[in-house]
Parts: sequence; C-alpha cells; structure tokens
Amino acid sequence: MIVNLLSRAMMMSTPLLFGSLSEVFSERTGVMVTAIEGIFLMGAWAGFTAAYITGSLALGILFAALAGLSVAILYAFIVVTLKQHQIVTGTAINILIIGLCSFLQRVVFGVPLSPLTVEPLKKIALPLLSKIPLIGTIFFNQNILTYSIYILVPLGFFILYKTSLGLVIRSTGENPEAVDVSGISVSKVRFMTVAASGIMCGIAGAFYSIGYLGMFTTNIIGGRGWIAFAICFLGNWNPIGAFIGTLIFGLAEAFAILMQSNSATMLPNELFIALPYILTIILTISRKSFNVPSKLGTAYIKEN
Amino acid sequence: MDKKTRDILITNFLAILLGLILSGIMVLFLKKNPLQVFGILFSSMFRDGYTIGEIFVKATPLIFTALAFAFTFKANLFNIGAQGQFYIGSITAVTVSLLIPSPFAIPLAIIFSFLISGIWAGFIGFFKSKFKANEFLISMMSTYVALNFMNYLLRTTLMENKGEYPQTESLVKSTWLFKIVPHTRLHFGFILAVVAAIIVWLILYRTTLGFRIRAVGQNQEAARMSGVNPERIYILAFFISGGLAGLAGVTEVNGVQHMLLQGFNPSIGALGIGIAILANAHPIGIIFASILFGALHVGGTIMGQLSGVPSSIINLMEGFVMVFVIISYFVRKRWEQNREKKLLKEGI
Repeated sequence: MIVNLLSRAMMMSTPLLFGSLSEVFSERTGVMVTAIEGIFLMGAWAGFTAAYITGSLALGILFAALAGLSVAILYAFIVVTLKQHQIVTGTAINILIIGLCSFLQRVVFGVPLSPLTVEPLKKIALPLLSKIPLIGTIFFNQNILTYSIYILVPLGFFILYKTSLGLVIRSTGENPEAVDVSGISVSKVRFMTVAASGIMCGIAGAFYSIGYLGMFTTNIIGGRGWIAFAICFLGNWNPIGAFIGTLIFGLAEAFAILMQSNSATMLPNELFIALPYILTIILTISRKSFNVPSKLGTAYIKEN
Repeated sequence: MDKKTRDILITNFLAILLGLILSGIMVLFLKKNPLQVFGILFSSMFRDGYTIGEIFVKATPLIFTALAFAFTFKANLFNIGAQGQFYIGSITAVTVSLLIPSPFAIPLAIIFSFLISGIWAGFIGFFKSKFKANEFLISMMSTYVALNFMNYLLRTTLMENKGEYPQTESLVKSTWLFKIVPHTRLHFGFILAVVAAIIVWLILYRTTLGFRIRAVGQNQEAARMSGVNPERIYILAFFISGGLAGLAGVTEVNGVQHMLLQGFNPSIGALGIGIAILANAHPIGIIFASILFGALHVGGTIMGQLSGVPSSIINLMEGFVMVFVIISYFVRKRWEQNREKKLLKEGI
C-alpha cells in the first residue's frame, strides 16, 4: 500500500512541478503569473478537446501547450507591455477563462448525453529500472509527463544558475536597471519568460484532463494552479525547493485520495480534501527566511 | 465634471461595449445571430417588475464581496478569500436562524455573521502582521478550507432531518428578510448593502481609521513614521473586509435561499473582485457596477432559456469586460500624460 501511495504521489506531483517550476522562472524575472489557475484550466480543456477529436494524446498535449501560451501572452501583454497590476489582471483572466472553457465546451460538444472520456496517458514501465524492488514501481513505472520532471528539475537548476540566460533572468527580477543598461530589454525578458511558463502550465493543466482523469469538467483544476503558485514561494524561488515542495503536496494529495476511498477512517473526508490547502497556510505562516526577488510584482518603468 | 471622472466614464463605457462585441463574436460560433441574442438579453432584463427586482437581488451579495475586496485594496492588501468568508457568514446566518426561529434571528444573524467572518478573515491580517505571511496566498487557500468545512457541516450537524440532500432545513418564515417591493424577491438585504457601501465610504474618506488605512496603502513606511501602526491596520482592515463578505451570507441565506445548500453561489467572491476593479475600488461606484453585473446575470439566464445560448456566455462577457477595464487604466494614464504634456508646451 505504501508503494502504491508513493507511486501516486509521484504522479500527482507532476503537474504541480510543471506549474511551480515555470512560476520560479517568471517570478525570478519579477512577474508573478497570477493567471496560473486559468492557464491550467485552458490547458486542461484544450488538451482534452484535441485528444478527443483527433484521438491522439500527443496532439492533445501540443494543443494544451499552445492554449497555455495564448493565455500567457494575453497576461504578459497586460502586465508587462501595458504595466498593469499583476494580481488584479490574473484574477480577471481567471474569470474569463472559466467562462471561456464552459462556453467552448458547449460549443464543441453540445449537451452530451453521457460523460465524454478519453483513454488517459498510459504508464510506461522502463526496462530494467522498473524491476528494482520498491523504487522501480514508485519512480520508473509512470507516464511520460512524470518522467519528464526527472529531466526538468536538473535542467531548470542548470539554466537558472549556470548559464548566462539564467543570469539575465535572475538579474531582471533583482536589478532591472542593470539589465537595461547592459542593452537587454527588460520587457522582452519578462514577456518571453511568461510565455514559456504558459507552455509549461498549459501542459500541466492537460495532465489533469488527459494524463490522469481522462475527462474534462470546469472545476477540474480546483485551486491546483494556486497550489503550484504557493509551492514556488515555499520553495524559495529555487527549482530544487520547488521539487521538494511538489513532492510534499503530491504526497498530501495521494494521501487524501487514499483516505477518501478508505471508509474505515474516523476523520471526515472533507478534512483530507482540504489538507493541501491547510498545509499551504501552515507552511506560509511558518516559513521565515524568504528570498523574495526584490522587484517581484512591480512593473519596470524606464526613466527618461 | 472634472476630466478624470469623465475619462473613467468614457473608458469604462468603451470597455463594456468591447466586452459585449467580443462575446457577440463568440455567439457566432453557435451559428446564432448576435444582434438577435443581445436583443433578447436586454429586452428580457426589463420584461416585468419581477425580473427587474431580480437584478437587485443578484446585485446584493456582489456589493458586499466587492466592498470586501475594495476595503483591503485601499490598504494595499489583497483579500481574495471573500468567497470563503461568505461561506462562513452563511454558516453563521443559517445556524443562528435555525436556533432562534423568530424575527430576533435577523439582527443576531447580521451581527454574528459580521463578527465571525470578520474574525475568520482577521486571522489572515494577524498572520500577515505577526509572521509576515503572504496575505494573498493565505486568503486564497482559506476559501477552500471554508468550503470543505461547510460541506462537512452540511453532511453532518446541519443536514436536513430527512437526510437526503446535503442541505439544511428550510428557515421558518419569521427569520426571512422582509420584501421591500411586493411581487418580487427583492428583500431588505439590498438596502443593507447600499447602507454598507455608504458606511464604507464614510469610514474610508471621513474617519481617522480610513485615513490610516489609505496611508498604509500608499506608503507603509511613511505611515509608520507618522505614527500609524501598519500591523494593527492589517488586522482591522481584514476584520472589516471579512465581516462585509460575511454579510453576503445573511442576505443570501435569510433573503433568497432560506436555507443553506451545497455548491451555493460559487463565484460571487471572484465577481466581487471584478466589480471592485470596474468601480476603481470606489464604494459608491461598486453599487452601480454590481447592478450592472446583476443585470447581465438575470438577462443571461433568461437568454439561455429563450435562445439556447448557454448562460456561460455571461461569465465570458464579464471576463472580457474586466480585461478591457484593466486595459482602460492604461489608456487613462496615457490620456492624462498627454494632457500634462500639452499643458507644459502651452506654458512654454
């Protein structure tokens, strides 16, 4: 049972990692992607719809990435190009996307008589590795998106700390004037990073619809985008911290699913459903040493 | 009318118009004529007294949640947990009204809903002042906690005697908010909301507390220098903000549903934020913006029944309007700068 729980925890961590890692990158440039909940939802819808119509999960993921990208571009246009307020803009976009997805769902599928489903991503057992006792089932019998986080975390860390691109990204959030003086456009760095985050978050959204449940509802994300957002804070804007955070939350979520199917428990189901949210509150309160990018949330206005 | 107010009216009008046009384009995807659909939308809003009353019924809770967001916004704080505070207020209102099945329940429900959701939200301010915790994250997460708490109560202690659905018993008639217009559902809660908006305006612009709140919002360190304690302001601002959102619980439970049921009014918190943005966080502007959103909802629901366009088009329309309203902040600033440049040139 423990192996089963941990294997599910790995799986549930996957979209949270996609989300929080992209949040780490954009927040390092000074932009919080507060539209993350909407981008997740848009990705979930586009992924499901494309997969249902074409019958190909790969096309589903591609469309989810494109849909996430489009929402992120709208968000970046308003907060980076027009320099408007990040939290307010994100909230508006999230409301827009809820309306858009339920409307488009109706346009494309009408009112279906039975629930629409697709076959979700299959688990691929890696040869040899999956045969290792315990570890094999937990880490090496997962779907393709979960495998990709094994590459994304070290890659993210490497880009952020060991490349000149990473240096530019980090400096844009700490000292945009210096970046500007060195001839690099602050707005361009921020815009591109948010756009790339949109691709990642769109895929993360598709994980819920086609990677796991095989269906779409408008409340499918249910605050998971916000949890990914919180993990970025709790992981101190560091890819490794984000990875640890997503494992904790993946475990909490897997635990909640396990406890809900276990009727012998004394505690109410609702407590387990609320567990990841309660955990976020407790961790937000108890974390002391935050390493906030100093220009996080402020627009860069060039002095003339 | 000064130039700034005129700019706000013009740009907001354009934002609403553009929002309508874009959602009209979306209607084309359903192979319907947008002009006809909008014709139904607008004519159905005003088709009879009952429907006009519904507009104000729908606007009532939105006034409260928008005031809740605007109040903390003035202190440069973000309370995006109004949805959860509304649930806490609803739980309180229904509990009080079930325990005291008499007209005395109404004032008590108002007082206790304000206090208990105020305390619930006050904790967010407390965590912010004591532990420097991010109020945006905590208020967001607290909504999910409140929602699950409500679902738990509806399944256990508060569940109806029949035990069939996750909802409470109906409230006895004497605990209902009285109707202010006969033959409609329009109840006393709307007056309460308007009074609340006026009181919020008075607090913000005519009292020392309001001055301090705005001072903290504009420049926290400067406020601290002049003897304001920002930490106390955080707690107070969140307490009042949460209390306001809690009052929406009274107007919905005692005024409209006359019971508490699962999955009820799931988006008034988010809409409140949109309305506060549309009204530039001005308490009196919020009343009108809420009536506008209320009208869109009422018209949209009827339109859905009459023309087969799903009522989710309304959320879409509201989303577009909000996005354009935010863009209009940019346009207004541009206009303002151009005016200043012109003045400067004329001066030379």
